[in-house]
Amino acid sequence: MTKIHHDTNTTLDKEDDADTFEDEFSSNDSEEIIDPLHVYNRAMTTFNDTMFTYALNPISEGYAAITPEPLRKSVSNFIHNILFPIRFTNNILQGKFQNSSDELERFIVNSTVGIAGLFDPASTYMNIPAHNEDFGQTLGHYGVGAGFHIVLPLLGPSNLRDSIGLVADAYLSPLVYYKGLEKYRLPSNDVQTFAILGFDIVNKNSLHLGAYESLKKDAIDLYPFLRDFYEQKRISDIEE
Amino acid sequence: MLKNLLLIFILTLTSSYGVEEENIKSVMDAKIKQSIKILKNKSLSQKEKNKKIIQIMDPIFSYDTMAKISLGKKWKTLSNSEKKAFTKAFEKKMKHSYIDKLKLYNNQKVITLKPQKVKKNRIKLTTKIIGNNETYKIVNSFYKKKGTNQWYIYDVNLAGVSIIQTYRKQFKAFLKTKSFDALLKTL
Repeated sequence: MTKIHHDTNTTLDKEDDADTFEDEFSSNDSEEIIDPLHVYNRAMTTFNDTMFTYALNPISEGYAAITPEPLRKSVSNFIHNILFPIRFTNNILQGKFQNSSDELERFIVNSTVGIAGLFDPASTYMNIPAHNEDFGQTLGHYGVGAGFHIVLPLLGPSNLRDSIGLVADAYLSPLVYYKGLEKYRLPSNDVQTFAILGFDIVNKNSLHLGAYESLKKDAIDLYPFLRDFYEQKRISDIEE
Repeated sequence: MLKNLLLIFILTLTSSYGVEEENIKSVMDAKIKQSIKILKNKSLSQKEKNKKIIQIMDPIFSYDTMAKISLGKKWKTLSNSEKKAFTKAFEKKMKHSYIDKLKLYNNQKVITLKPQKVKKNRIKLTTKIIGNNETYKIVNSFYKKKGTNQWYIYDVNLAGVSIIQTYRKQFKAFLKTKSFDALLKTL
């Protein structure tokens, strides 16, 4: 990084070490995201945004109005608990054994004392934290790059690596129907899978109403904003 | 009671601008506690809450620095009046965005970790927001103002995403095709 000489003729420039700030932030400027699908991605972002505002939000608000928050939290706890195999496996795959043992402990406590996962006594009383890891993160942990960015219908921003991750995690998820593994699955066909996923999305959104709108306010141009936000967040998730 | 008095004492001590290195954690803890109290106060209107919280947080935010970093190289090409206008617009935007995110607070537990000195004039302070099945991390980055022991926040990192970096990228992309005046208007 070459630094161009500049005169400090304003009070603002004199105040502090502008150049070190430039170095700190410019190293991330060059991280250009590979985006061959940008035309499709932009269109899909608009579609998702419209769906969010005119379908998901009104549905979630209506649902929140008739469902008490503790109940919605319990639904969210239940779904989180049942997805334990994904977190457990991915923590192991990344060699994070303490985390997977935390997850196992959480699963046992919450499935029993927490009444089939409806409550989360492991966090509330025992301070055992959840460790969210998915297969996209596992791949990233072993140095697999993000690949190009893809905006998925309804699910939002993703990339090649994380989309592959989603498929792998679905294989472990008791909430996704899989032929031959019916025994370990809650849904017994694809329609039920989508119904459960849809309900999960609505329930989750009902607990975070306003979060997307709040995030959106920082955007000057929505698509690149959401894309960069997603990719930065994933990099940080993988580093942890 | 004693705790509250101590809190008020710390806050008044530091109501001047910036914060000393040794006080970063205690002052931030106090400010967060105060803010949460305000957020939970049902007798205040949203507008009053916003105003009070901004008053608490303002002294430690260096909007000038944030504005400058967010524009990157473009900053040096601006005239003084342009710099002023931009800083003002950016400050307003940042406050707005900050307040908007506070509204999302929903009784989660908040804990502040030990400050980490990453360089002799940079400190990162991590705050964890512990909610249902998920924990969010907020990292406030402080820099030391030259020749003083006053530290200011120049960036906030939400769940792994730097707010200033995000603005920087957006401004850069915007200025590739549009003018600085158009950017001011958009803000």
